[in-house]
Parts: sequence; structure tokens; C-alpha cells
Amino acid sequence: MRPKRFILEYWRLMLLLVFVAGAGIALFYPGGVIADDGYVDDESLDDNPTNLEYGLGLDGGTRISAPPIGMTAEDIDAGAVSDDGAIDRERLTEIEDALYDELGLETGDVRVSVDDGGSVHAEIFTDEVSEDEFAAALDAADVEVDPDDGIREGVTEETRDDMIATIDSRINAAGLSGGDVYESAQLGGAYYVVTEVPDMDPDELRELLSERGLVEVVAYYPDEDGNHTNETVLEGGDIAAVDPPRADGGGYAVPVEVDSNAAPEFQDRMNELGFTDPNVGMGQCGLATGTDGVDFDQAGEHYCLLTVVDGEPVDAHSMGDLADGMRAETWDSDRTFQMGAQDQQQAQALSVNLESGQLPAPLNFEDEQTYSLSPALADQFKLYSLIIGALSILTVSGVVFLRYRDVRVATPMILTAMSEVVILLGFAALIRMPLDLSHVAGFIAVVGTGVDDLLIIADEVMDEGEVNSQKVFESRFRKAFWIIGAAAATTIIAMSPLAVLSLGDLQGFAIITILGVLIGVLITRPAYGDILQRLLTDK
Amino acid sequence: MGYMATFDVPEFDYTRYSNRQLAAVPLAVLAVALLVLTGSFLVTGTPVQLGMDFAGGSELTVQTTSSEEEIVEAFDEEPESIQSVTAPDTENQYIVQFTSTDLESLTDQAEANLAQDGDVDIVQQESTVSESFGSQTQQTALLGIAVAFVGMSVIAFLLFRTFVPSIAIVVSAFSDIVIPLAFMTVTGISLSLGTVAALLMLIGYSVDSDILLNNHVLRRQGDFYESVQRATQTGVTMTITSMSAMLVMGVAAWLFGVELLASIGIILFVGLAADLMNTYMLNFSLLRWYKFEGIRSS
Repeated sequence: MRPKRFILEYWRLMLLLVFVAGAGIALFYPGGVIADDGYVDDESLDDNPTNLEYGLGLDGGTRISAPPIGMTAEDIDAGAVSDDGAIDRERLTEIEDALYDELGLETGDVRVSVDDGGSVHAEIFTDEVSEDEFAAALDAADVEVDPDDGIREGVTEETRDDMIATIDSRINAAGLSGGDVYESAQLGGAYYVVTEVPDMDPDELRELLSERGLVEVVAYYPDEDGNHTNETVLEGGDIAAVDPPRADGGGYAVPVEVDSNAAPEFQDRMNELGFTDPNVGMGQCGLATGTDGVDFDQAGEHYCLLTVVDGEPVDAHSMGDLADGMRAETWDSDRTFQMGAQDQQQAQALSVNLESGQLPAPLNFEDEQTYSLSPALADQFKLYSLIIGALSILTVSGVVFLRYRDVRVATPMILTAMSEVVILLGFAALIRMPLDLSHVAGFIAVVGTGVDDLLIIADEVMDEGEVNSQKVFESRFRKAFWIIGAAAATTIIAMSPLAVLSLGDLQGFAIITILGVLIGVLITRPAYGDILQRLLTDK
Repeated sequence: MGYMATFDVPEFDYTRYSNRQLAAVPLAVLAVALLVLTGSFLVTGTPVQLGMDFAGGSELTVQTTSSEEEIVEAFDEEPESIQSVTAPDTENQYIVQFTSTDLESLTDQAEANLAQDGDVDIVQQESTVSESFGSQTQQTALLGIAVAFVGMSVIAFLLFRTFVPSIAIVVSAFSDIVIPLAFMTVTGISLSLGTVAALLMLIGYSVDSDILLNNHVLRRQGDFYESVQRATQTGVTMTITSMSAMLVMGVAAWLFGVELLASIGIILFVGLAADLMNTYMLNFSLLRWYKFEGIRSS
């Protein structure tokens, strides 16, 4: 037979071979077919002969899912956005202040924002306020909201995105590669924030996630009645740029640049309060600081700039060299200063918090789901998956051989079913799908359904005596294909809810099963028809 | 058939039994299964005991030279269950489950009270699911099963466009899910994400043999019994192949302590066995009735 005719007649088989070859390249081509522009995973490059990526369940690591704490009044009639889209920032701040006052909330627990569509949303990040109280507080700011319909549990999408960005940046700052943060929608509209990291145990990760990272610079100065007053003069959001921490005298400092919008106000306030006056507050901070924080129990008058993280003062500094520039009102063109810290660790944490920004809403660990696997056990799971997969394929092969007692029918059947798995693995390597145990279950299920369908083809084609012409073969093959198509359609329908719903582990299983069925119906099972035809008609 | 190490699908003489007789067996099994589930629901509040994924709780995999009794003693709270892992290259590994969701104190207790096995970390795997997360998952899983089942039913009706053969597929698939559920209730296997996946997979697998049977009887010419015989030859081989693969996977994964694969394997095995009965007794009798009496009367 001439090659051209051969290819034309057995194009289905050729297609299968092309796909298997493609899968082989995707699996073994060093570095992968599509360059890895994501995280660098040096470790797995060394000991992994294939381009397969493994997920948490086969590589080890920790995953924590938890919902954000908060309550949202969506699309409120705040009168802060005019018809031409101009936003009245002062009005937003006014509502925020009213909420802080009415509900007695801590800094950072209120957010009134305008989304891209011009709708105003008010959020509070606490679980100690009822919907009625929230509505009443909004009412105090002349915003009318129905506590039953107008207020819902949870936070806005914007806030969740901020949370994800902050957590992501914290993970990177901690030097952990291969981490992942995403949100997962639940039935009923709730969202969970899911964080996955290798090389961290649940306690460490929970600590990283539970810090709000709210940084403030607070002015501490004497008031008229001989006491001292605290006043927040800068917040984390006012810091535009952060340099790496460095040693500074006895302690550590994080050099920062203040945002150009916030700098003039900060400068004015410092001058007003007398921090920059050599005769009043300049250099006048006598508070002792240690690893426990700041000791406020000191006699005398003090003018200190406190570094406060999550409500805890960590450092107190007086106004030093900056005072001259501030007094001359030239500092606001330079806008840099140093935030103090006790030790390197604290300075590092401070710099991470400034860099990553604050976690807008805390996470509710009461409702968490945690999974953590040691790399050692993960390696065992990889081995077990291989053994279980091999045993399953062996069993299937055994049964098929026993049934047909014809190596010519059974061998291609097993090979075809296995090629389905190879193509799937190649696909997984190509798109860098992280494989978990659930995917392994999917692969085994694919071999199962695959062989089932090949059995249908074989029985159908060999039924009713000899296959002596191409025409007889084609007609029988088409009949078999109707059944396979129908069965594939039901499997896909049965599995599709799992592929879409967020049921943790099962998504991978469903996706692999559906992909496997599709690859099977479109590529491998028709190819098996070609093989059978060659074997049965050309003797 | 002189070979010992081969298997053939036995020919079954359907003509000796009436439709009523044939349908009675699977329907009786289905009734018993439903009774078991109802009974369990009345006594415990759920038809099947819910595993950690759905009810909340914690699980630790520990590597320790302490004995099982010592492991139980090591925790303030008595463990729900404890399973020792049997796998190549693995010794002294146990999977311990708790109803508490305070993972932090559980790992602390494990690390403080269990004897370390060489220089290996004591806690190899830890996971917790809060009750509220579990009930969310429960609702999502129920929705998933419902959508899958309705979708499968619609496809069955679209494929055959006649009532009796389509409903036969739907009824057998329903029974294929209910019987393994009752099996779980009786044997104390709890419902997990893995078993839900297996139940959904069953919908897909079980329909295969039903479609095959209906297709041979309804869409082909020829003698009814001959068509059934041919469909049975292929269908039974298919189911037996899948069953053996699932049994091997289930048992191996159970020994290795890989729960997800173990529950998928075992539940699919039981469900496929139920499917053999449902397809070749229930679906068959409905088809025969339809072929010989149903068409005439309509």
C-alpha cells in the first residue's frame, strides 16, 4: 500500500499517533513547551523528570480557606457621586467617620468606597455589630438603608481583590515561591479566600493571615490638661514607597516616602503641634522602647512619633533632622523619612506590612478549612498513585485478555486506553495543571470508561461473523459509535456540575474525567477502530 | 470452553421468568435500601453518616512509634477513628480523626505526647473542616448530585424519545445510587467528597450498560432474545472490567491510607454490582414488557 493511501485510510490512527507524540513532547521537553512565566520552582525541576506539576495533595504544603469577616451595605444613596461622575471624597470620609463614631470601631474597620460603576458601598469589618446597628449608624450619616434587604454578610469584590493582593504580596515577601491565593464562591453568594503555600505549617500560615498589617504613624504629644494625646498623622495608605530596612543607631529603620497628597498635611500638622520647634517638641521624646513595645509610664512632656502596627505601638521616636526641612516647608518636596523599629525582625515585618498593604478585612478562622501535608507523605502519595494506577491498568488488561483470548484484539485495546492517559498527562503538563490525588482518580476512571467503550467497538465490529469489506466495517463502527457518543454525553453531563461547583478536591477529578471522555471519543476510540479494521480486514 | 483461566459471560435463559419475577428482585433490594436509609434518617438525622468533609472535624496523619492505645491516650479528646496505614516503605503511620476543629491544639498534643519515629516529623498531614464549611459543602454536593441526575435523565429521554425505555434507565440509575448509599450506612462508611464523586461517576458508568441494552433491543432488527444476548455479552464484560479495576484500586488505596481513591473505588465497585442486577433484571423486564405489550397497547 502506498504511504499516501495508507495515511488517508488510517487517518484516525495517524491522528492518535500525532497526539501521543505531542503529549510526549509536552511531558518531556526540558523546561516545558510553554515557558513557565509564573513562579520558579527550582526544587521540582531537579528531581522531576517530567514537566508535570503537582498540587498540594502530591507535593506537600498548606492550604487554608476562610471567609472574610464583614458586612456590606451595597449601592447606598450617599449623595457622594454627582450625575457627571464626580466623586465627593469629603462626603465619603464623613460617612466613614460617622460609622467609626457610632459603632466605636477600630481604625481600618470601616470602608466607604465607590466602584467603577459609580455605586457607593459601605463596609464594616467586624462581627460584633448587628445589621440594625449598622443601618442605624448609616442613618446618623443621613444614609437610609433597610437593615434586612440593604445589608448583607460579606465584603465587596474590591475588598476581596485587595485581600488577595495583600496576602499574595505577603507570601512573596516571606520568600515562599509557588504560593497561590484565590477566592472560591460558595452557594448562597459567600466567598472564601483560599491561600496555598508550600513549606509552611498551618500555624505559621494562620499567623501570616491573621495579621491585619495596619500601620499608622501616631503623634503623641502633651495636651492642655497635662495629659498626652494620640493622633494618627499618617496611615499605611499614605506611604508611597518603601525601601528595605536598615540598621539605624541602636535600632532599625525602614525608609519610606510619603505620598505627595498626604505629605503637605503631615508637614503642617507637625509644625502646628510643635514637633518641629527646637524650643517645644523637637528631640523631646523620652519614652523607653523595648521588645515589649513602648513604655508610656514616663514623667514629663513628650513629643513622640509612634509606629503603631495593628493597634500596638512598636516604636517611639522624636522628630530629628527632618524638623528643619519641615519648618521651612520644603520637606514636602522630598517626602522621605524613616520609620523606627526595635530589631531587624520587626523592621522586616514593618516593611512587609507597608509594602503589601493592610489586609482590609480580617478572616474568620471559625469557619476555616485547613489541609496540610508534609512533603515526605506527599512523596509517598506520588508512589502510591503510581502503584494504584499500575495495578488498575494491570487488572483491566487481565480481564480483557481473559475475555477475548485474542492478543490481536486485546493488546491494541490496552494500548489505546493507555494512550488516552498519556495524552491527558501531556495536556496537563502543557497547561501546567497542578495534579492532585483527585486527578489520579480521574485518570483511573478514564481508563475504565475508555476500555468500556473499546469493548463496545470490538464486540460490535466482530459481531455477526467475518468483517470482509471496508463497507461492513464502517457500518458496524458507526453503530458502535452511536452508543459511545450517547454514553460519553451522559458521563459529561453527570460530571459537569462537579467541574463547575467549588467542591474542593473533586473539581480536578471531574475536569480530568470530562477531558478524558472528550479525548477518547474524538481521538483514541476512533483510532482503535482503525487498528481493528486493519487487523480484521487485511488478513 | 475448556480453558480454566478464561471467563465467558454465561447465557441466561430469560424466557423461564416472567417480567414480574425479574423486576421483583431489584425492586425488593431497592426497597430494602430505601428502608435502611429512612431508618438511619429517623434514628440519626441523616440517611448516611457524614464524614469530615460534610460534618466538620479534624484529621491528623501521624508518624510515631507509639502504639494505637497510646495514640488514643495522647489526645484530650477521644479520636473518632484511627486507622493504621499499610503501605510499602511505610511503618508506624496512623490516620486519626476527631470531631473537634481545634487543629492547633490537636497538633500540639500530638507533638507533645507521641514518640517520634526517627527524625521524621510526627504530624505528616493535618486537616480540619469547620462545621459551617462542611454544611456549605453538603449543600453544594446535594445540588451537584441533583443536577447530574436530572441532566442524565434528560439525555436518556432525548436519546430514546419513548417513555418506558427512558424511565427504565432513570430508575436503574436511581437504584444504582441508592444501593451503595445503603451499603455505606450498613458498613459505616461515611459520606465524603470521594464517595460523592463515586456516586456521580456511577451515574455515568451505569447508564452505559443501560444504553447498550436499550440500543440493541430498540434500534436494531432481529430477535429480541438474540439482541439482549449480544448486549449482555458486551455489557457484562464492561461492568466486570470496571468492577475489577475499582476493587483493586479501592483495596490498594485503603491499605495505603489514600482515602479519596479508596472511597471512590469501593463505592463504584458496589454500585456497579448493583448496576449488573438493575440493568439485566429491572431494565430488561421493563424493556421486554414494552417490546411485547407496551407498544401494542399504546
